[in-house]
Amino acid sequence: MAEGHGHVEHHWEYSYYPLIAVAGIFFALPLGFASYFEYGNSMLATIFLGIGVPLIVIGVAGWTAEGVANAHREPGYAMTGLPIFIVSETMIFLSLFASYWMLRLTTEVWPPAGTPEIGLTIPLIMTVILVSSSFTYHAGELKLEAGDMGGFKTWLLITMVLGAAFVGCTVYEYSHLIHEGFVFGTNAKSTAFYSITGFHASHVTAGLGIFIAVLIPALAGKVSHTLVKGAGLYWHFVDVIWFFVVSQIYFW
Amino acid sequence: MNKRSILLGTVAAASLFAIGAGDAGAGALNDHTEHWKELWGHVLLDIGGIGVVFGLVASYFLVSYRRTRDDEVGKGPKFSFAQSMAWALIPAFVFMADDFYLAASGWKLWNDQRIVPEGAMEVKLTGRMWSWDFDYGNGKVTTNEEGLIVPQGKPVVMRMKSEDAVHSFFIPEYRIKEDLMPGRVTYLWFLPKDTGEYVFTCTEFCGTNHSNMWGKVKVIPAAEFDAWLNPPAPEVAAAPAEGEAMAEGAAPAAEAAAPAGH
Amino acid sequence: MKEWIFTTDHKRIGILYLVGSIAAFAVAGLMALGIRVELMAPGTQFIEPDIYNVMLYFHGAAMILAFLIPGLTGFLANYLIPLMIGAHDVAFPRINAFSVWLFWFAIVLALLSLAIPNPPDIMWTGYVPYSSQYSSGNSSFYVFTVHMLGFSSILGAVNFLCTVIFMRAPGLGWMQLNFFVWTILGAFVIQLIFIPVLAAAVTLLLFDKYFGTAFFVPDKGGDVLLYQNLFWFYSHPAVYVILLPAIGVFMDVISTMARNQVFNYKVAVFGGVWGVVLLGSDVWVHHLYTSGMADWIRIGMMVTTLLISIPVGLLIISLVGTLYRGSIQFSTAMWYTAASFWLILIGGLTGIPLAMTSLTLHLAETYFVMAHFHFIMGITATFAVFAGVYHWFPKMTGKMYNESLGKLAMTLNFIGVNLIFWPLFVIGVEGMPRRYQDYQMFPQFEVSQWWSTIGAVIVALSTILMIWNWISGAIWGPKAPANPWGSVSLEWTHTQSPPGPGNFKEIPKISPDWHPHEYSKA
Ligand code: HEA
Ligand code: HEA
Ligand code: CUA
Ligand SMILES: [Cu+2]
Repeated sequence: MAEGHGHVEHHWEYSYYPLIAVAGIFFALPLGFASYFEYGNSMLATIFLGIGVPLIVIGVAGWTAEGVANAHREPGYAMTGLPIFIVSETMIFLSLFASYWMLRLTTEVWPPAGTPEIGLTIPLIMTVILVSSSFTYHAGELKLEAGDMGGFKTWLLITMVLGAAFVGCTVYEYSHLIHEGFVFGTNAKSTAFYSITGFHASHVTAGLGIFIAVLIPALAGKVSHTLVKGAGLYWHFVDVIWFFVVSQIYFW
Repeated sequence: MNKRSILLGTVAAASLFAIGAGDAGAGALNDHTEHWKELWGHVLLDIGGIGVVFGLVASYFLVSYRRTRDDEVGKGPKFSFAQSMAWALIPAFVFMADDFYLAASGWKLWNDQRIVPEGAMEVKLTGRMWSWDFDYGNGKVTTNEEGLIVPQGKPVVMRMKSEDAVHSFFIPEYRIKEDLMPGRVTYLWFLPKDTGEYVFTCTEFCGTNHSNMWGKVKVIPAAEFDAWLNPPAPEVAAAPAEGEAMAEGAAPAAEAAAPAGH
Repeated sequence: MKEWIFTTDHKRIGILYLVGSIAAFAVAGLMALGIRVELMAPGTQFIEPDIYNVMLYFHGAAMILAFLIPGLTGFLANYLIPLMIGAHDVAFPRINAFSVWLFWFAIVLALLSLAIPNPPDIMWTGYVPYSSQYSSGNSSFYVFTVHMLGFSSILGAVNFLCTVIFMRAPGLGWMQLNFFVWTILGAFVIQLIFIPVLAAAVTLLLFDKYFGTAFFVPDKGGDVLLYQNLFWFYSHPAVYVILLPAIGVFMDVISTMARNQVFNYKVAVFGGVWGVVLLGSDVWVHHLYTSGMADWIRIGMMVTTLLISIPVGLLIISLVGTLYRGSIQFSTAMWYTAASFWLILIGGLTGIPLAMTSLTLHLAETYFVMAHFHFIMGITATFAVFAGVYHWFPKMTGKMYNESLGKLAMTLNFIGVNLIFWPLFVIGVEGMPRRYQDYQMFPQFEVSQWWSTIGAVIVALSTILMIWNWISGAIWGPKAPANPWGSVSLEWTHTQSPPGPGNFKEIPKISPDWHPHEYSKA
């Protein structure tokens, strides 16, 4: 608009990446899923994944790049937005737990027949790993505040290794249980067990994804402080949820 | 203003008592279908009244406060804190009084509907996509083709379960329905007062033939029903008077004697 | 072009929402037309049951999830909130763009379900175990449509809560917000908290159907009613996501057109809007009155459901009271609003017998329910969207629609909808069940069904007129005056029509005695 000359020059803002990311999600998730699971057409599923996943990667990468580039004019709302979003996430976990309670409290015999002994060692190890990863990330943040880029990167990497180890434990545990014939559909216990721990593990994985989005620009010496803080907050949230998972699923 | 709300509150409270007191005489059969119709009438009056009052006030305002001059502005009232609270609390209490009146009368009818009278005849109902089986307990089973056959004047309680999706057993004539599902047994009861044939049908969406899951409740005189349920079977040495107690033993014979159920 | 498709500007995103939601309305409306023609007589006319079920699934899901919720909280919120609070844009413009495209692709997905083999036929409620075990339809499309729309709304909630918290013009206090802004806040708080529960419900459905889990399989310890509880735990509050912004639109329209302050503003905000948000979360079991849930919980939720009449009643008092001693000018938007005084009462008050558990043992799943929610949602809230489009049409386009044509279309629509749904109330009480492709067991209902269909045809005509009015007005309409309704609200007084990028050349400074609904000082 030609007439206005306020202190900020405004023009129509645009960004390619939101649309690209959504298109990717559209192909990869609903179309990919339905092709494979509903219509049993793995060829088609592969094609949709092949279109969708690169689009998602481009979308996320481009979006992050824009975010990092504009870091200087970023408003400080993200650190309020994220907690608001986390309210929503909490509700999903709460719904899952509520479902678990409803299943569990309306049956006489728990765990139902067909449930093997689920070891408590692995969850304990996982707890230690995840809790320490929260501390290592915080250590990284402190380094960053002190202007020590190298230290930040190191601690970030350590955190990521711990996160990956956590997911590794889950995979190990799952393969063990599945080997014993305790699968998704065995009974109500397996249903709740895999859904809740799996959903949590997917959050850990998502957290790792966010760390990658922090790490790559950081390797090039660029950081968005908002992104770093946000990633941290999310990681701590996932950590806290884990305590509920452990106590409800393993120790109750 | 205040007086009116007190008045309304009193009316509501009084009606609560009236409902509590006006119970059917002991021993009389409790016909919740009739009570439904009565309560429905009251509720229609209640909400109709509220609707007309609010609607007329709004219409009156719309007509009488049309803009007459271009530079005219509204002169709505400015409230002090007390006034504004009064405009919140008084209506709130009036509405609440009405809500409690409705809740109390609704609750009373609910008890009528959910407390099964003693000596009710029990029929086991199994629903599936897309048919019904009525099991009368002595081996006699009918489907929706033949209908649900019940004696006149005797309360009937249905114990219901589903073999697949959720269904719902609905008899419009008796103003009652309840869902059937796998894994739980649900119930409803009704009083077939008059003989005749009344539609029952499925009211929980269950797929392609959802609108085809229907049949008739056939209410027949009690004597006729007894004859149908326990046809005289000479080879069973049981006195007819003990028919009910002997039902289990008599079951195979009765089934053999009756025309094929399905 | 790229500044439209890839836009991150809230106004253009708002328009994208508008186009998408009206498209969803048109397609879902055409489905309704098909349904109505099929129901003109008992027996099968020309739509087989399988196809009927898919059409009804699409009609219900699209009308609620793709038309009303995005129309009110997507289009109107996006277009108006930053303008009303004096902000350059929303807090997270790119997330906003992400939201709108999630919405659009969800519509594409829903439309695709009309083209794929084995389309979903599970109704908008998707009850298990039909949807998870017995339907041959593709339930995954339902699940993903819900996921995408839900995620879009959650992000919208984050965005708008941050926007209103942080980006109000300097000096603009909480008690100086347009009423519409308050209702949107209420709606988004509901979305934020409850959508995840719906997302969980449909995800469990997906797991059960495709991964063989046992959430809803009683033989393995699952529970069918779990789904219904989760589903309605969201989907009841969702009706207030629709009702609140609808009332917000009406309130803003009335206040502007009557040049009158909002009657008892603070009580309407705290008692009305937030009362609805609070109470609305404790009533979901009123959709499970016939479900076989424990008796005590069914009767308990009767009381909470009835109490909803208090906050909603306060809102209605404020709506009516805002007319009192006003100076009402009747634009097309005001016509829609005026009609809604009656419509909202009919729709809301018929919720009262439904709230009464014992009456609902008869009324549940009949056309009475169906007429109830069409009056409150299919008509009243829909009128709010239409009123919103008309009222802010000069703002969005800088042009004027044709006022007489608008009123003609409105009148036709009003006649049509009453013709559709009054007969359905009557046959509902007499026992006509919902979701019936065929009602051969109730031949006596044919006459009412027939008239209802005639009504639907009238509504279709009026809708074509209305959409034509919008399109032609936007292209050929005369230039609109800067502030055609003489509003004092920021979006009219401080921006051009249509507003340029960044909305305000200079962010207005708000004085403490200014109010967007205050006319008596002018
Ligand atoms: C915008 C949408 C919307 C809104 C606002 C409402 C509002 C209400 N609804 Fe409705 N409803 C639906 C949409 C909506 N509903 C839908 C879609 C369904 C069906 C879903 C499906 O199965 O597919 C449904 C179904 C439904 C049922 C379940 C029926 C069944 O399936 O068995 C019930 C039961 O309680 C109910 C009750 C109510 C009540 C009590 C209100 C209240 O909020 C109404 C409050 C308003 C008033 C009461 C009027 C104004 C108040 C006054 C004038 C004050 C004075 C009044 C008194 C003191 C009474 N609704
Ligand atoms: C916002 C919500 C909304 C709206 C607006 C409507 C609008 C309408 N509805 Fe709908 N309806 C629902 C929400 C809504 N409905 C829901 C949630 C259900 C329950 C679903 C379920 O059971 O799961 C339902 C169920 C439902 C049924 C029940 C069927 C059954 O149970 O078997 C019927 C039957 O008559 C019906 C009819 C109508 C009609 C005639 C309209 C009319 O008002 C529609 C008028 C609109 C048009 C006729 C379209 C006009 C458009 C054009 C002509 C196109 C112009 C084209 C271009 C510009 C390109 N609806
Ligand atoms: Cu059985 Cu519908
Ligand atoms: Cu509800």
